[in-house]
Amino acid sequence: MMQWVAFLFFASLTLLSALGVVFLSNIIYVILSLLSTLVMVAGIFFVAGAELVGALQLLIYTVAIAVFYVLVLTAVPWEKALKKDSHYRIEGVLTFPILLAFYLEIILVFLIGVSVSPKGQIREFIQNLGNTQVVGSILFSKYFFAFELVSLVLLVGMIGAVLIGRKEDKTYEDSTS
Amino acid sequence: MEGLFVQLLVIGIKILVILGVVLGLGAYLTWVERKVAAHIQRRAGPMVVGWHGLLQPLADGLKLITKEDIFPRTGNRFLYNLALVLALVPAVLVFAVVPFGPEFEFFGVKVKPILTDVNVGLLLVFALGSMAVYAIALAGWASNSKYALIGSMRKAGIIVSYEVVITFAVMGPVILAGTLSTYEIVQQQINQKLWYIWLQPIAFVIYMFAMLAETGRVPFDVQEAEAELVTGFTVEYGGIKFGLFPLVEWYVEVLSLSAIAVVLFLGGWSPINIPFLGFVDPLFFLGPLSPFVWFVLKVALLFLFVLWLHWTLPRYRIDQITETAWKVMLPLTFVNLVLTAVLAPIVWR
Repeated sequence: MMQWVAFLFFASLTLLSALGVVFLSNIIYVILSLLSTLVMVAGIFFVAGAELVGALQLLIYTVAIAVFYVLVLTAVPWEKALKKDSHYRIEGVLTFPILLAFYLEIILVFLIGVSVSPKGQIREFIQNLGNTQVVGSILFSKYFFAFELVSLVLLVGMIGAVLIGRKEDKTYEDSTS
Repeated sequence: MEGLFVQLLVIGIKILVILGVVLGLGAYLTWVERKVAAHIQRRAGPMVVGWHGLLQPLADGLKLITKEDIFPRTGNRFLYNLALVLALVPAVLVFAVVPFGPEFEFFGVKVKPILTDVNVGLLLVFALGSMAVYAIALAGWASNSKYALIGSMRKAGIIVSYEVVITFAVMGPVILAGTLSTYEIVQQQINQKLWYIWLQPIAFVIYMFAMLAETGRVPFDVQEAEAELVTGFTVEYGGIKFGLFPLVEWYVEVLSLSAIAVVLFLGGWSPINIPFLGFVDPLFFLGPLSPFVWFVLKVALLFLFVLWLHWTLPRYRIDQITETAWKVMLPLTFVNLVLTAVLAPIVWR
């Protein structure tokens, strides 16, 4: 009973703030709505008993990732932040079918994932071990290959970032050294 | 039904105690800071209001509350006030997972002196602690002022760098304890008869650096930099609103991160430790109160250490701060992780 009340509370707030992301015009309000959406999703995780995922949601999404959006957006001048008319209308209409395809793909992947995910086997696992241990043992047994593949992608991204961020040789005179 | 009621009552009392102690202490730590600073500089400090200036924080509070509430005309009032809430709430929430002492029985009810013993408490601490950056970024933006904006950008840069460092630094103790729950980490240190500082000196030093950076204390206080930025992001705030930011940043956050440092490295409420042999308790005569006294003593020690640094050192430049984080501290934490992996089996045995 309490769980349902808490879930409905977080779920409705998630939806409300997600709507805010789409419909608000001031970009700072938009990023704040996004933040609130992420926090509320963490709340849903906590209600579901997935404390580790909830804490990671808070640590990685609401803090580590969203902070970069905030950092960039706070540097936007006030006149531009408060502008009402939107850009990229034609582009938006053109990308709509592609976006729709992506959403369909997400739904498809979700349904397939639900159909093959283990049912009830993890439950007794959780009772024996803690939340963190369960995630670790599943990640490093069943999904080990996918996990390694993802880390490879991250490594490529990191190397790319280093290459892009590298200083060009002798573009300016360094007077401090 | 009765059990539920008692539980709710216990939770309510815990919340009230934590809020009262943290916010009350936060206000009084301003007096401690002024006294310590004065004695470091061979002055007397506040002496007029009350005995040795003991009533000074109350006088300051009255003055701040009765001041006119000034607001920059071109700012955004909603975000300007929201920044205050965003600063205060996460900083106080961190105390929900700080364990103040061992479990005790009170009129037949078992009480753990920790608000919620979540099994991922440590992750929550750092998630909530880093949320301070939003308050600061918003305060800078909503004030619509150059100084405030520069200050907030600097602070955001520092927090982004040091958040990574601090998370890797605490991985050492977490590996040794094998849990993320703050209460369990202390229990493990007592069971293993070992303060983790003895095996994790590098991690401890890096943690202290990162703590200074996250709370904006000297030598990392470039976001304040009263000489160049006239106190940075708080410059457009007035009265009690101005007072709230330093209260949160310099006192509440320093207290919470010190408490977490004590939990991770100094064995929480356990008395003085001789590695692998046991504990020596010179305060044994206090009986069941001694663990709490030990905890408070250790936190006070770390807080005084921070004050000592604050009033002794000059400040770094912003590029020096972030470069140290990425080029020195982060590699050091990796080295520490490898060392921990080698040493861990000795502790686990």
